[in-house]
This record gives sequence, C-alpha cells and structure tokens, in this order.
Amino acid sequence: MKSKFILLSIVVCFFLMNKSYADQKQLVGADADYGEHLFGECVTCHNSTGLGQGIPKITGMKTSQFITKILAYKTKEKENAVMQMVAERLGEEEINSLALYLSKLK
Amino acid sequence: MTKMKRRTFVGLAAATTTALSMPSIAFGALPRVVVIGGGAGGATAAKYIAKDSKGAIDVTLVEASKRYYTCFFSNLYLGDFRAYGSIGHNYYGLAVNHGVNMVHEWALSVNNAAKKVNLGSGESISYDKLVISPGIDLKFESVNGYSAEAQSKMPHAWKSGTQVQLLKNQVKGMKKGGTFVMVPPPNPYRCPPGPYERVSMIAHQFKKSNPTAKIVILDPKNKFSKQGLFMEGWQKHYPGMIEWISAETHGGIKKINAATMEFETDLDTFKADAASVVPAQRAGRIAMNAGVNNGDWCPIVPASMQAQADENIYVLGDASIAKSMPKSGFSANSQAKVAANHIRGSLTGSKVFTPRFANTCWSLVATNDGIKVGANYKATDEKIDKTSGFISKTGEDSNLRKATYEESIGWYSGITSDMFS
Ligand SMILES: Cc1cc2nc3c(=O)[nH]c(=O)nc-3n(C[C@H](O)[C@H](O)[C@H](O)COP(=O)(O)OP(=O)(O)OC[C@H]3O[C@@H](n4cnc5c(N)ncnc54)[C@H](O)[C@@H]3O)c2cc1C
Ligand code: HEC
Repeated sequence: MKSKFILLSIVVCFFLMNKSYADQKQLVGADADYGEHLFGECVTCHNSTGLGQGIPKITGMKTSQFITKILAYKTKEKENAVMQMVAERLGEEEINSLALYLSKLK
Repeated sequence: MTKMKRRTFVGLAAATTTALSMPSIAFGALPRVVVIGGGAGGATAAKYIAKDSKGAIDVTLVEASKRYYTCFFSNLYLGDFRAYGSIGHNYYGLAVNHGVNMVHEWALSVNNAAKKVNLGSGESISYDKLVISPGIDLKFESVNGYSAEAQSKMPHAWKSGTQVQLLKNQVKGMKKGGTFVMVPPPNPYRCPPGPYERVSMIAHQFKKSNPTAKIVILDPKNKFSKQGLFMEGWQKHYPGMIEWISAETHGGIKKINAATMEFETDLDTFKADAASVVPAQRAGRIAMNAGVNNGDWCPIVPASMQAQADENIYVLGDASIAKSMPKSGFSANSQAKVAANHIRGSLTGSKVFTPRFANTCWSLVATNDGIKVGANYKATDEKIDKTSGFISKTGEDSNLRKATYEESIGWYSGITSDMFS
C-alpha cells in the first residue's frame, strides 16, 4: 500500500514536472472525438469563432504550447481562478485529447 | 516508466464511454428531436445535437420570439455599460450553419404518450426525444399586492424583453434624492447574485445623475450570494447609498401597494419613488403541462438531464432541479451539452461520455470592479455534486478586479456565439 503510494507520487511528479512531456510526439490516450466533446466546455468562454476579446483565443495554438499552458494552470504556477478550476479536472487523457482535436482545427 | 505512467493515469482518471443501445428507427426516416425554448439551455442543445450529428438527426427548435434578449448583461445595460441592441440575438446561425428547423410559435401542450408537441397554430410536431428549456414563470401572488398589472409600476425585469427597458427609464426618471426599493426573490431563483448586481448598477446610475438618491433592499432572505463582496463594494463605491434589510430585521413584507408605491413590513412602511419587485419563481408552464414537474420545478436524472417522470423528455436550465448547480445561463449551457451528447448516443449509437458540468457567474459592482464565483460538478445518483470551486476575495487589488470584468465580457461573447452561431 505504502509503496504503491510512493510509486504514485513519483508518477504524478513525473507527469507534472517533466518538461519533455509537452513535446512528446505521441499523445498518450488521445481521442479526437473525446477532444471535440471536451472542447464544448471551453467555448462557453473561449469564443469559438476566434474572437479573443477579454479571454484569449485558444485555437491555432501549437500542441506543445497548448499542453504547457494547461499544465501551468494545473500546477497553479499560473494564476487565474477559472482556468485553474478548468485545468484541475483535466487528466492526461483529457489534455491529450483536447490537444489532438485542437491540432486538427484550422 | 512511460508504460507505468500511462497505466496509472488511465486507472486514475478514466473517461468512461458507454454505448447505448440504438432504438429501431423506421427505415429512411431520421430520428427527430424537438427542443422547446431557445434560451441558454435550448439554443445550446439544438445547436449541439444538430452540429454533432451532422445531419443524422432532424432538430426542430420551438421558440416563441424571433429575437432573444439575454437576461445576462441586462444589469450592465441598466448601468450604461451595454447598449440594449447588444444583448439581442437571432436564430439565423442555428438555421443556416447547423440546419436547425426554427418554429417561432408557442408550444401549448405535450402529448407524452403520442410523443407530440401541440403548437399555438393548431399544428403538432412529433418527436423521438423532447428537450424542454422554457426558463421560469413568475409567481406574482408570492408577494402580497404584486400582480401582472403591478409589473409595469414595479418591474421585475426577470425575464428577457421590454421590462428591463421600462425599469431603466424609471430609474433614470426617478426624482432627485428619491428612494428606490428593490425586493429580491426568495430561493430558489434564477441567477442568485442577479438582484445584488442590479442594485450595484442602479447605484452606479444614481452616482452619476442622482447622487443623493437612496436604495433600500427589502430582502425575503437573511443572506445572499457573494454577500461579503457586494457589501464591501457598496461601501467602497456608493457609501451611504444602499441599505440592505434582511427578513429577520424587517419581519417580512406584509403587503405592497403599486398605486401608492408603499411596502408594508413589521419594521416600517417604506415609500418608494421607483421600485423593482422580483417575485418567487417556478418552471415555465410547458414543463407542468408535460407533467415532468414535481411542484414548482422538474426533477431530473443527474447523469443525463432526463426528466425523472419521462425518459423521452430532457429538462434543462432554470426549470430543472439541478442541485447543487445554481440556476444560471452558464449552468443551462453546460447541462445542454450533457443532454445533447446523451440524446445523440441514444438515437444514433454515438459515444456517450461521462457527464461534466461547470458554472461561473461574474457580477459587476462598479466600473472595472468585477467579481466571480464558480464550480465544477459531477453527476452522482442523487444530484449534480460540486467537486471544487472558487470565489473572488474581499480586498483584491484593482487590476485583478478589472481583469475579472474583462473576462466577463469575453464570456458573454463566448456563450452567445456558442448558443447562436
Ligand atoms: C438580471 C439577470 C441577470 C443574469 N445574469 C446572469 C449571468 O451573469 N450569468 C449567467 O450565467 N446567468 C445569468 N442570469 C440567468 C440566466 O438568464 C438564466 O439562468 C438562463 O437564461 C436560463 O436558461 P433557460 O434555457 O433555462 O431559460 P431562458 O434562457 O429563459 O430561455 C427560455 C426560452 O424559452 C422560450 N419559451 C418558454 N416557454 C415556451 C413555450 N411554451 N413555447 C415556445 N417558447 C417558449 C422563451 O421565450 C425563452 O426564449 C441572469 C438572469 C437575470 C434575470
Ligand atoms: C469559465 C471560463 C473559461 C473556461 C470554461 C475555459 N477557459 Fe481557458 N481561459 C479563460 C481565461 C479567463 C483565460 C485567461 C487566463 C489568464 O489570464 O491567464 C484562459 C486561458 C486559457 C489558455 C491560455 C491562453 C494563452 O494564450 O495564454 C488556454 C490554453 C486555455 N485557457 C484553454 C482552455 C481549455 C482547453 C478549456 C476547456 C477545457 C478552457 N480553457 C475553458 C477562461 C476559461
């Protein structure tokens, strides 16, 4: 039980801190349909028609850049109450699916 | 390491996908979804079902009005931060971009057994799945002396439309040094911080053009949403102008008189020069007609937003009991996406994802002084349960408050384009 916990901590640290994660070519667990579905959550705030008034535009962002930015909110390195809350419940599968879907949007 | 990481992560946060069984559909005929109400819940549901099914589902939106004026940001219109035209939206985008059939009529009744909606024109439309998002009706009788006639002298302005223009004219025309009385509704009601944002925006108006005016809030409650933040803001921006009187203090509003503009309470009788009275609320009438209510509101299945009383009907937004989510446009939009995904799954066999709900409500207290409250939710068997949340803090610096206001402008443009384009 204890060793499992330590293992889990190492795994989580690895996920949060490994910078090369962001540049990983393989988007582990990514599913574009799931990404499209999740994107529905984002466009309540991030105007899907690309206007960036008041809230930045997130379409057309590079995959690695997108992942780095989401992780900055998830680790609370970057301040913003709404985005920290959004990022908090995005796991690896969600982030990668969003990244894959966004990379396919023109 | 990579392998292990993957396994652990998938185990920790698996997105469950369930394939629902496909119903047998008559050969050649597309499955039909009818949506009643083209507001925050209904417009979003119609769009997402049509967009994501890519023509595989026939979607009809029944909405009484050709133009939807949002209640959200109507307070900013009161404070001169928005023009009235900027909060009005049409349905062309839904029709042209997503192929939604628009029917601008009142839905009068629902025949659950025959799965038909009867329209004001006398025609009826049949459905495989029906979405009801009619917003609220007002219980005028909940405030003794208030009525449909009294609403022109003491506008509630709690449904979209011309009431808010009437209220603004009365605020602007109020005599110098006069008293404005605000009566907020009892819980539960649409937009918990709304009455207090309204007071803030009226105070902002008075500060410019009628600085000796007073605002008295006769609340049927003993506490309210974002109370500490509003109270701090009122003290800071409008010192001495706003008096909030709790139910405990005034002992209850016994009677109001729209002719004399008097509000009788145990504490005192208050005389107003202008007023806004927002009575108690219930789900829009069509929900009662469809028999999906239990009392004033409609119980739903948290994971799908299906009415507990009829699995072919989904109830969204203000009309539903979506505890612990507040009744807001953001909530309705979030619920609509969960329902749309579920409906599509049951009609076409597409993937149904684990429901995820969220809400954030911004309020404007004064120029560049925005505050916000938000939460994430998940479905349990009993309710839509809050999993985490945040709220602005008192004493925040003015740059953060300005950024919060700017976010709300971004959100307004985001949600309205999400609903209508
Ligand atoms: C002053 C104020 C400020 C607010 N501010 C915010 C805010 O900042 N953020 C936020 O998220 N929310 C806010 N809200 C709340 C928000 O407006 C509602 O929660 C939201 O509109 C609910 O969506 P809905 O789909 O349930 O109903 P609605 O948006 O009211 O839509 C219902 C639609 O159904 C139509 N309809 C009803 N019955 C029928 C019928 N029988 N046949 C045909 N059509 C019918 C109506 O014409 C209407 O267009 C505010 C509300 C108020 C009053
Ligand atoms: C409640 C409103 C809201 C929702 C919902 C929301 N965001 Fe954001 N997002 C914001 C705001 C506000 C900012 C700007 C934050 C800041 O100043 O750092 C932002 C910033 C971002 C950024 C950084 C942009 C940049 O150029 O720096 C990314 C990436 C992002 N969001 C992605 C998402 C994704 C993906 C989702 C959906 C899963 C989402 N957001 C949902 C409000 C929201």
